[in-house]
Amino acid sequence: MPQNEFVVQMVGITKVYPNGIAANRDVDFNVRGGEIHALMGENGAGKSTLMKMLFGLEQPTEGKIIVNGETVRLTSPTVAISKGIGMVHQHFMLVPSLTVAENIVLGMAPTKGMFIDYKKAVEITEEYSKRYNLLVEPDKRVMDIPVGMKQKVEILKALVRGAKILILDEPTAVLTTQETEELFRELIHLKEQGYTIIFISHKLNEIKQITDRITIMRAGKSMGVYNTAEISKEEISRLMVGRDVVLAVQKDKAEPKETVLQVRGLTYTNEWNKKMLDGVSFSVRQGEILGVAGVEGNGQGELVEMLFNLNRPDAGSATVNGQEIIGMPQDKLRALGVSLIPEDRMTYGIAGAATIEENLISDRIDQKRFNKGPLFNMKAIHAESEQLIKDFAVLCKSHQQKVQMLSGGNIQKVVVAREFSSNPKLIIADQPTRGIDVGATEFIRNKLVELSRAGAAVLLVSADLNEVMELSDSLIVMCGGKIAAYFEDTSTLTDAVMGEYMLGLKSQSDEEIRRVCHEG
Amino acid sequence: MKDRRLMLFEVARGTAAILLALLVATIFIFLCSDEPMTALRYLLIGPIIKDSGGFNTMSFYTILAAMIPTIFTGLATCVMFSAGQFNLASEGGAMAGGFVAALCGIYIQMNTGLHAVVCVVIAAIVCGLIMLIPALLKVKLGASEMVTSLMLNYIIMYIVLHFLNYNFADRSKGSTQTYPFAETAQIPALVPGGSKLSWGFVVALVFVVIIALFMYRTRWGYAIRMIGINKSFASYSGMKVGGVIVLSQVIGGLLSGLGGSIEVLGRYTTFLWKELPGYGWTGITIAILAKNNPIFVPFAAFFIAYLNKGCSLMATYSDVPAEMIDIIQAAIFLFFAAEQFLARYRQKIVVRNTQADLAKLETVKGGETQ
Repeated sequence: MPQNEFVVQMVGITKVYPNGIAANRDVDFNVRGGEIHALMGENGAGKSTLMKMLFGLEQPTEGKIIVNGETVRLTSPTVAISKGIGMVHQHFMLVPSLTVAENIVLGMAPTKGMFIDYKKAVEITEEYSKRYNLLVEPDKRVMDIPVGMKQKVEILKALVRGAKILILDEPTAVLTTQETEELFRELIHLKEQGYTIIFISHKLNEIKQITDRITIMRAGKSMGVYNTAEISKEEISRLMVGRDVVLAVQKDKAEPKETVLQVRGLTYTNEWNKKMLDGVSFSVRQGEILGVAGVEGNGQGELVEMLFNLNRPDAGSATVNGQEIIGMPQDKLRALGVSLIPEDRMTYGIAGAATIEENLISDRIDQKRFNKGPLFNMKAIHAESEQLIKDFAVLCKSHQQKVQMLSGGNIQKVVVAREFSSNPKLIIADQPTRGIDVGATEFIRNKLVELSRAGAAVLLVSADLNEVMELSDSLIVMCGGKIAAYFEDTSTLTDAVMGEYMLGLKSQSDEEIRRVCHEG
Repeated sequence: MKDRRLMLFEVARGTAAILLALLVATIFIFLCSDEPMTALRYLLIGPIIKDSGGFNTMSFYTILAAMIPTIFTGLATCVMFSAGQFNLASEGGAMAGGFVAALCGIYIQMNTGLHAVVCVVIAAIVCGLIMLIPALLKVKLGASEMVTSLMLNYIIMYIVLHFLNYNFADRSKGSTQTYPFAETAQIPALVPGGSKLSWGFVVALVFVVIIALFMYRTRWGYAIRMIGINKSFASYSGMKVGGVIVLSQVIGGLLSGLGGSIEVLGRYTTFLWKELPGYGWTGITIAILAKNNPIFVPFAAFFIAYLNKGCSLMATYSDVPAEMIDIIQAAIFLFFAAEQFLARYRQKIVVRNTQADLAKLETVKGGETQ
């Protein structure tokens, strides 16, 4: 087989989910034998969906998949494995109480009579482990081994099942720097032995380091395929986030007043023993937008979870107008005037099978004006929902339409309409415009500015550099769970400077960062 | 428009499931009967048409009477399932309710009219409290309410049987039963004759309206439904998820207790159940047929009662055994519960709608740039 022949060809792939979301639209994706091929894109760009179809977890609505020159219908992972495709998921699919060897042979265990031949299982594990230089301890239980080794077990599992094409879904997301380096050496070793690797990531440095070619996806479409050596990081990021649409937001200069949100020393270590927040301290004042920039997975998501009691920190405090909010139930938080646009709108933001109206009133059903004795005041509720639909320009047929039938942008407008209309004192906006259309994006950005100028404190978390730099009055950059930099004035900032702090190449002194607490 | 198309599809899917289930039943009848046409006649039109051809009023009343307990257990299941709580204890609840109401009817002396109401209310409260067991186990300890409620049914049954056998049995009777209720405790008949159609039927219909209002027109019903759809969304919105989960199951208990007690006081003169009455199981079927919407519960209950009556007629007058009802119910269950049933056609509608939306979006964008 010549080196450059395609082992995987996905042609004209379209995927429409049963909820009407078009995750992939006419995507072409080709992988050469023996290469490390990066699949890049923001969350929601459709890369996971594409790979799920290649691994047989989902079926394409349109298009065909060709593996080794043969058109295949991958109806299940079993079929995909039989075609030599293996996948290592971001969250490991291992049985914690079984040993490494048992996990590796699970479902295909060598038997001796009625029983599993455990010795043989260990032999198989050791043989593969040596051949591919993926060192594991076969007799240890999976729950007792570190994350890096779990990942090797996952890779070995795929190899033992005869995979020649390995899909790795954000493999470095859970690894430390040293573990990442080790993984890369192993991947290059595998590549040298003729294996093909598809590497899903959105970390530019890693991609540049080990991949041969890159396919970039944005909003369900392929933005083309490039040779890694011939494309600059800037070009990749431009293609990924699509900065070609420049949205100008009109904004007066901020006049910050009293501190609303005060965060001090938030620290959190996640279940994989990775320190996601490391002594984070900052303040947000009335009338200002504080941006939080950073490469995704550097603690921004965890920060938001802590502030809205969706998770508990190990240490630290956060107050809103002097009241401690760590561990405060959400109804109390909302009564204090805290609003959240959640990052994951389908999980937290809406109840999909409920109507638009029901989604709009979820935080205010106990208010007097919506109740008449024990019953709802339907007139007041209809009036409220119709007003919100009008004010926030939600495109729909009626307030009785199911919210899951709306487009992403309109779903987000429903969330925003609810969160912005409760007279909030503090708005936490986590990726408020991710994956939605230009019109809705512009609308939401303008509303954020409008509310902050009217006196709300806004904490804006966004992986979209354009958004965070344009909207914020001042901003912090997070890297590795810490604040790496604080910029009091965003108007003179450049991408290049931001990039250096985001990727951890530089970080400000403690004194410089401490200014964001606005003390003394 | 596209929403209506999807809704029409859901209704069509339900109808198709019922028709297919009846078709399956027909096939079985043809397989196991020497007189399939007679059997089918009794199954399908026997319950309301006399042999002579006229409308069988008495039989119709019997069907309505059979709906009384199952409307209540159906409503109970609707409320609990709407909250995403797969609590199956309305079966035990109905039995406990019947037993408690019977005891109150025997050992409390009161005036006509008030007595029956007091019996029923006490029974409902007791059952509501019993339902705290699976509810609190779920909220405090994370124990699956499906498992605990299923177990609870048998615990309730054996406790009731214990007290019935050792404390409250009327030793002068040949079979195990309590002393007769005071006449003041009996629920009067709605129509004369032996149909057993009591005023309980009217109460059941009133409760259909009350529960429908509760679920769709109060903040508690709203919270129950939102928690059932998306728990994360509900707690993020500030609802008390744990409390509402407990509330939904307590209401389920109240309703099943009402069902059991009204059935016992309306149909019998002593308490004589020696096993679980089966109303809870039927209630689950009804809730599934009604898609957890209280308004559809009486229709589903009528359908099941009609089928039951048809099956028993068929068993009496032809050679097909009464167990056929289980086959029909199981088949309806399968087709209803199967998400994938006709899913390919549904997916086609969704794809078409999405593509139309995308095309519209493209033209809008095109218009902007020009």
